[in-house]
Amino acid sequence: MAEASLGSLLPVLLLLTSLVPAAVIFVLPEPRERARRLVNMAGAILKVVLTGVLIAGVLGGGEYEWRRELLTGVDLVLRVDPIPLLFVTLSSILWLTTTVYAIGYLEPGQRRSRFFGFFSLCVTATIGIALAGNLVTFLIFYELLTVATYPLVVHQGDHRALVGGRAYLLYSVTGGAVLLVAVAWLHVLAGPVEFLEYAPLAGLAGEHATSLTLIFVLLVAGLAVKTAVVPLHGWLPKAMVAPAPVSALLHAVAVVKAGAYGIVRVVYDLYGLALAQQLRLLTPLLALAAVTIVYGSLRALAQDDLKRRLAYSTVSQLSYIVLGVGIASLTGVTGGLVHLIHQGIQKVTLFYCAGNLAKQLGVTRISEMRGVGRRMPLTMGAFTVAALGMIGIPPTAGFVTKWHLGLGGLEAGQGWVIWVLLLSSVLNAAYFLPVIARIWFLRVEGERPGAPTLERDLERDPWLVLPAVATGLSVLLAGLLAGAPLSPLSWAASIAQEVAGS
Amino acid sequence: MSVVWWLTPILLPLAVAVVTTLRPGPRTSWLLAAAPVPALVLALAGPLLPAPALSWLLLEPRLALDPVGRVLLALTAVVWIVAGVYARTEAEQRGGYVEWWLLSLSGNVGLLLSDDILTFYTAFVVMTLAAYGLVVHSRTVEARRAGRVYLVLGVAGETVLLAGLLLAAADAPGLRMAEVAGAVAGSANRDLVVALLLIGFGIKAGVIGLHVWLPLAHPAAPFAASAVLSGAMIKAGLVGWLRLLPIGALPLPGWSDLLVVLGLATAVVGVALGLTQRAPKVVLAYSSVSQMGFMTLLVGVALAAPEAAPVAVAAAAVYALHHGVAKAVLFVAVGLLPSAGGTWRRTALLVGVAAAGLALAGAPLSSGAYAKAWMKQAIDLALPGTSVTTFASLAAVGTTLLMARLLLLLRAQRPGAGPAGRPTPGLGAWLTLVVAMATLTPLLPPVLLPVLATPDSGAVVAEPLWPLLLGLAIAGAVALAQRRVGVTMPALPAGDLVVVGERAVAGVARVLALLAPPLTAALSRWTRAVQGAALALGRRDEGLDRLEDLLTRWRTGGAMVALVAVALVIALAMPLL
Repeated sequence: MAEASLGSLLPVLLLLTSLVPAAVIFVLPEPRERARRLVNMAGAILKVVLTGVLIAGVLGGGEYEWRRELLTGVDLVLRVDPIPLLFVTLSSILWLTTTVYAIGYLEPGQRRSRFFGFFSLCVTATIGIALAGNLVTFLIFYELLTVATYPLVVHQGDHRALVGGRAYLLYSVTGGAVLLVAVAWLHVLAGPVEFLEYAPLAGLAGEHATSLTLIFVLLVAGLAVKTAVVPLHGWLPKAMVAPAPVSALLHAVAVVKAGAYGIVRVVYDLYGLALAQQLRLLTPLLALAAVTIVYGSLRALAQDDLKRRLAYSTVSQLSYIVLGVGIASLTGVTGGLVHLIHQGIQKVTLFYCAGNLAKQLGVTRISEMRGVGRRMPLTMGAFTVAALGMIGIPPTAGFVTKWHLGLGGLEAGQGWVIWVLLLSSVLNAAYFLPVIARIWFLRVEGERPGAPTLERDLERDPWLVLPAVATGLSVLLAGLLAGAPLSPLSWAASIAQEVAGS
Repeated sequence: MSVVWWLTPILLPLAVAVVTTLRPGPRTSWLLAAAPVPALVLALAGPLLPAPALSWLLLEPRLALDPVGRVLLALTAVVWIVAGVYARTEAEQRGGYVEWWLLSLSGNVGLLLSDDILTFYTAFVVMTLAAYGLVVHSRTVEARRAGRVYLVLGVAGETVLLAGLLLAAADAPGLRMAEVAGAVAGSANRDLVVALLLIGFGIKAGVIGLHVWLPLAHPAAPFAASAVLSGAMIKAGLVGWLRLLPIGALPLPGWSDLLVVLGLATAVVGVALGLTQRAPKVVLAYSSVSQMGFMTLLVGVALAAPEAAPVAVAAAAVYALHHGVAKAVLFVAVGLLPSAGGTWRRTALLVGVAAAGLALAGAPLSSGAYAKAWMKQAIDLALPGTSVTTFASLAAVGTTLLMARLLLLLRAQRPGAGPAGRPTPGLGAWLTLVVAMATLTPLLPPVLLPVLATPDSGAVVAEPLWPLLLGLAIAGAVALAQRRVGVTMPALPAGDLVVVGERAVAGVARVLALLAPPLTAALSRWTRAVQGAALALGRRDEGLDRLEDLLTRWRTGGAMVALVAVALVIALAMPLL
């Protein structure tokens, strides 16, 4: 009994490891930097430890659920299922690295109290989204995420930040409203439906096929705003005005990933792959993803601002996940799920590195990146690995994704998918390889041949360098050790077995 | 133990890369030559220990080494060791060279040892991308242009290749090379997959039409890197074909004919283009293109008749061995000549060049004579009664001409033109390579590849004689004619086919020489067009930006909210209907 109650408390504890730090940080006065640092790090480390406990527990067959009645018939449910655990792991690990990074990145006088408070709140919302056991819980945390992220996007407080923040808020609120409509409609139609409980919806498929299809469209439309699916992606390139740690978290785990994760859950855990196929919902989803992948890459090609190029690259890469969702075969599902992780670690690395460049050298444009590899070898090494991952060059993580998506498409009889993937790879190569060549093979303008020793200072701050190196290394390891137990791939494959098998 | 035995050849270069990066300088640079040694040991000793199963790594890499692989691995190791000795100077002088060098080496060895398509593809890609660092090393304008063309075609090739691999793997029971090749034979997409593999690997192998990067990139690199590019890495495309095409499973007459014709065309056109060149390294690069034509031809032969496939595959591997070592001898000699001070050094190098040139031309008892004899064995077995052998011999005439031209160009070079102040590298490693050239090809194949019957003395002495003599005669005649410019040119006996042939060759060469600049120009125009398109996209981008701006404005937002409200009302009304 005691064990059971602990089991039901674990999901809540996971939320509290960032919610409590958020509350403490808001109370702490601005100059208390050390205390804030301590609280932040303690929370982040504790969350990673708790996640480890959860993984061990789930592997041992444990079940973790926390449930309270919110309204009559509507429960607030937090539950640890395989897909949520995948997302929680990604979120808590990248929250830790990003916290370290943010501590190094933000300087005194940059309103760090407000920043870290909302930062923790943002992660709380993400964990809530991950663990949500039904749509209502999902929606609540989804809206919380919108609200918690806004102050981070406009953190700089200048005109561009406000414009970006406004676009973000507008899109997100609208998307949330659409989602609300869909959730309400579904409730009216089917009553409270929980994730992984396919029977109620499958039973309705005969009578209410049209309604179910419309609800699906609304759900996906609402989620697609955060996933930045074309044509609902406009806010993302504007929101990249946020400070680097925010962009990193935004593009890798928190906001855009919440949308993609929502689509994954709607298709796999709410409708189920069988029903989605029966209602023929997957092919339009595939087409949407394909268009987004190509459009994002094409736009990225023309950007000179590094962060803007990365933002369009996110638009493109996120739809790899959606593409995987639309491919109804074991390998395709694996590819989509594993990219949830792979895109996260790759993009977070790229944004850390972009942040380091901007902070240490004032370099924000690609045309200014000549020869920076020699000045910041560790950071640029991580950048190179992550960029190669984006292109899908083996043995990085991105290749594992690409291979599975392509093979999955062929298995599902959607062979055209590989041409989209390969076109996207070529475009990715076209906008990342010249950058890499510029980093390593061009000389710094006005470089003096005899003075490289002073430059060591550029990478002396471990708070800034370590996160980038660690995540960059993980991009390499996720690809190199893809066959190992507990690698993202083997994890995704075992989940795919359940999803595509049922 | 077996993990150590199999993985050291791949991992030692990476370990050396770490060491040399942390402690650069003469004390560690000798490791460049030591890094490929385990590969040589493995090639010569063979798979003494069973290949380890590495299920946790990548996607279950499989390693294997068959006799054909051993021949190619021996070639690769020998070339890399000797080139490594000469890469030391370069490596000590500028950072960021050893890393690319060793990464390329690791990829090159890895692709020869891998037995599944993912490991193979990984190694192939690592090698290709890392070698970019070698190509652009000198940082000159030409090197950068060469690097750009190299990278564009490299990425294109790898993308095409990946498409082929995905299509093939979708039908295969597993990812082992043999399983995938077997699946290609029975696949519904067979012709598409074969085409994709031909193009993907053909770019690396320098098949005519896809070869444009090669004469730019190989000479742009420092000479030691040119030696490994042209001697070892260029063979990766051939390895891919031999392993992944459905060779030996079923006859593919159409594809076979295409490859035979393409191979012969590559052999001839490579020579013709090479003859128009003045820079020795460019001549050598064209010679590589031409020689790869013979290996392409052998792949075509292997596809013609399954029963002849083992012989053709073995012959292709032996040809690769012969060409790789000879070409490395040539590139290193050409690289050493400018700084060769003493008369005897210069003479030794020129004699070595002549010997390697004779070998490539297939002079009696040279490595080329053996390689060509085995090539003819395969052709006679698979395509009896055709004139392929004759055409191949005629192409050998071309090689003789090209090598004569190279020697003349080198003799005309003034000695001591190299950069002053550098220590002169010794000739010891190069001399070893010359010995390897003379011995490896005649001695190694009979031990490792019993399918190849030992050629009789006629095949290695008498038969190769006429193309060589013919080539030398033409070269002499041309030299003579050139010396007598101003005098009338009816020097050669009239009506002789040789004259027609020579005129034709010269004509073809002239036409091709006319075509070569437009081809290169077209390529750079194309690159510029791509840049232009990107810029145009950038301009249109402003339009898209405005569109996205519009979409993010308050008013648009208001409209969206209103729409949502409408949807809400409909949704609420829906269940009532």
